[in-house]
Amino acid sequence: MYDLKIVVEKVEGFCDLPMKKGDYFTVKGGKIELPDDQHICLWALQSLMPIIPAKQRELNEKNDWIPHTKRITCPDPNGRVIFRIDRIDPATGKIVDSKQEIPSRIQVNPDQCTGCRACETVCAFIHTGSFNGKRARINIEKIEKDGKDIPYICRQCGDAPCVKVCPVDALSRDKKTNAILVNEDKCIGCKKCAEACPFDAITFNENKMPLICDLCEGEIECVKRCPTEALKFNNSPGGDKK
Amino acid sequence: MNYGYCGQALRIDLTKNNIETEKLDPKFLKDYLGGRGLNVRRLYDEVPPNVKPLSEDNKLYIGVGPLTGTLFPGAARVNFTAKSPQTNILGDSNTGGFFGPELKFAGFDQVVIEGKAKDLSYIFIKDGKAEIKSAKHLKGLDVFETQEKIVEELNDNRVQVASIGPAAENGVKYSGIFCNQVRAAARTGMGLVLASKNIKAIAVRGTKDLKAANPKKFKELIDKMDQEIRNHSEYDIRVRLGTTKLVSSLNELGCLATRHFQTGYFEDADKVSGEYLEENYKQKEKGCFSCTIPCSRYFEIDKGKHKGLKSEGPEFEGLAGFSSRVGISSIEDSLKAIDMCNRYGLDVITTSECISFTMELYEKGILTSAEIDGLKPTWGNSEAVFKLIEKINKREGFGDLLADGVLAAAEKIGKGSRKLAMHVKGLEIFQADPRGIKGYGLGVAVATRGGDHLRSEPWFEFMEDPEEGKRRFGHPESAFRLEYKGKGKVVKFYEERCVLADCLEACKNTLVNMEIISFKEAAKLLNYLTEIDFKEKEIKRAAERIMNVERAYIVREGIRREDDTLPDRFLNEPLPEECGESAGSVVEIEPMLNEYYKARKWHIETGIPTLEKLKELDLHEIAAEFKKKGIIKN
Repeated sequence: MYDLKIVVEKVEGFCDLPMKKGDYFTVKGGKIELPDDQHICLWALQSLMPIIPAKQRELNEKNDWIPHTKRITCPDPNGRVIFRIDRIDPATGKIVDSKQEIPSRIQVNPDQCTGCRACETVCAFIHTGSFNGKRARINIEKIEKDGKDIPYICRQCGDAPCVKVCPVDALSRDKKTNAILVNEDKCIGCKKCAEACPFDAITFNENKMPLICDLCEGEIECVKRCPTEALKFNNSPGGDKK
Repeated sequence: MNYGYCGQALRIDLTKNNIETEKLDPKFLKDYLGGRGLNVRRLYDEVPPNVKPLSEDNKLYIGVGPLTGTLFPGAARVNFTAKSPQTNILGDSNTGGFFGPELKFAGFDQVVIEGKAKDLSYIFIKDGKAEIKSAKHLKGLDVFETQEKIVEELNDNRVQVASIGPAAENGVKYSGIFCNQVRAAARTGMGLVLASKNIKAIAVRGTKDLKAANPKKFKELIDKMDQEIRNHSEYDIRVRLGTTKLVSSLNELGCLATRHFQTGYFEDADKVSGEYLEENYKQKEKGCFSCTIPCSRYFEIDKGKHKGLKSEGPEFEGLAGFSSRVGISSIEDSLKAIDMCNRYGLDVITTSECISFTMELYEKGILTSAEIDGLKPTWGNSEAVFKLIEKINKREGFGDLLADGVLAAAEKIGKGSRKLAMHVKGLEIFQADPRGIKGYGLGVAVATRGGDHLRSEPWFEFMEDPEEGKRRFGHPESAFRLEYKGKGKVVKFYEERCVLADCLEACKNTLVNMEIISFKEAAKLLNYLTEIDFKEKEIKRAAERIMNVERAYIVREGIRREDDTLPDRFLNEPLPEECGESAGSVVEIEPMLNEYYKARKWHIETGIPTLEKLKELDLHEIAAEFKKKGIIKN
């Protein structure tokens, strides 16, 4: 098991306890240790509690979010105290970074989407040679009366429901890129994947084959063409606004 | 398979209820490129001079270009062309949005609408076919409602609609055709032509494939252009403000049309500028199809008397039209007036001219309040502006007089008001004062659709680089906006750039104002995209050919050199003192015209294309017709 050092990394707003940047406590086995003259906020502690035992243990479930979750925020909306959880090797006392990197994903911000469909056009073109957006693996819904433009595209979910629900194992995950891949030889066109997708990101071509983002080879063309960063591909927090 | 071109036109005869498709000859495509070129040539051939614009014999052409619907940045445009009921000469107007690309995906480069439907109808084009549907239930609906209703009843939110509003149904001469709510083909009354055919809207849906002949090379070139656009010095400002940047920048130069061109400086410009709009109302950027330099915006007013007003837009023309031009200092009132025009389906340039013209006549005592239905249209009186827009839309009271455009209104009012009508050939001019931008002045004077800036956009005169002026146009002065030398050549050059943009159907922001592709690159682009072999020389020649066909069309309708001029104020009244560097300036139109005709090889005294020029451009049949009719004598 790891020891944990839990440090106040940042205070956004106002904490009247106060918790200050740099305050910390450690978790060793079953006990919490506080440095002299320091305290820990009860509200913050209760929100940290569920993750503490999980972070102490090495979990190897594929695509699990716990290994790369490093920050927890106090629930007070007026003073968001952000805690960083570092795993410590008890033998050396040194910080061990999570072995699993945070995977990059397509991140979407509809508030920045201009609705131009440049992403659709380039996606369709790259994958099929046709400019017609119906062949794209990204779709922009335009609600003109409200000026809303909403991109629908695969977000490479950690525990992808589309993969799980497929009755014939036609969907799999690319080991390198994390993209969902479709095996058209296996796919029976049942559309269960689309029903399961929490982002409504899956459409079908005329042969009933699912159109799912494959993250292109090399540069991701839709992200590259998006003029406003409504589409991004990265692993930084807070990118996806949907 | 469709490579760039669909190779097919749709002809809809509403009288005979006959719909057929026509193959487009590759030679025709090569000689006239697309969009505006195809439309104008057909108009020349199919709509002779005796046709009355609102008769069944007039035809409306809808043209898209080889780039429409492709990856090319802003390849969104579509041209609507007919004989204009507003000017009685060339009617032609284009717009962006999503209608054009959808028409390509439906399999057409052009649609011809002729005759007249028995009842109010709309046309639904889908995947190589079309049907006429009843629009009785859409009668009187505004532009936004019409589009929403049609999308709803066709049950497909990918359907794109080009529609008219109530203004066209009521017979307003400057009613336009609108797509995506606010994307307006507003000029020259194309909406009224559609209304005269009993057509409320055209809906289109396309699921056909459109490809590039050489996809790898095409994509490489597009990537290069994307980079060029992003690295362009104008990129940031265009994304932030789009054309609304012109309110403050023209005001600084002393040539922002203010109180009906009485001056070029508006003291409250900073309250109605693009910057002010961005800071206080902008929600996000908006763009046309496939655009990587989104210059439009979505705005919302969240308090005050126009609370809840939200829309895409505006462009410079509407913003300045309903602020400086009519003296309004409240941007919220300007946005309201623009929104009214969009919903009614009115051209904002002409509407704001008609209203500011009324205001000046009222100020000068030429019109009394009693003659204007009891309104007191003083400068900046927003309520009077709203009322006049409503009256124009309904052709009610004084609005009926204004609804035929400023020239017709001046002719009815008399009392010397004609001198104050700010039009060329019956089309009202935009919100920049030609006295401060003389190349634009010449462009507006000679524009083939009447007083309009989008036929040439000679931005080069802002360059202020004498070396470049000498190198490119033979005169160092040509790079300076307040000089007139060299402008004939500058305007010719940019007229042909505009033709190229309107034929390929790409945005003029990139193709003209940013000069993103050269004729040489255009040839490459078309060679990679289409199956037709294009050479740089041929494209240049095609652009000049199209300009000459347009000129021939209006010459055949009676236009001559004396019509290529500007309103008296721009020629004889110097800009007042507060206009900074532009103060004291008037437009020297005659020497610029001489230079322009010379550059065009047109007859200097008459402005008629010479036989030599017509023949050089393979327009032999037009040359023969002009000789036969005695238009050209020798």
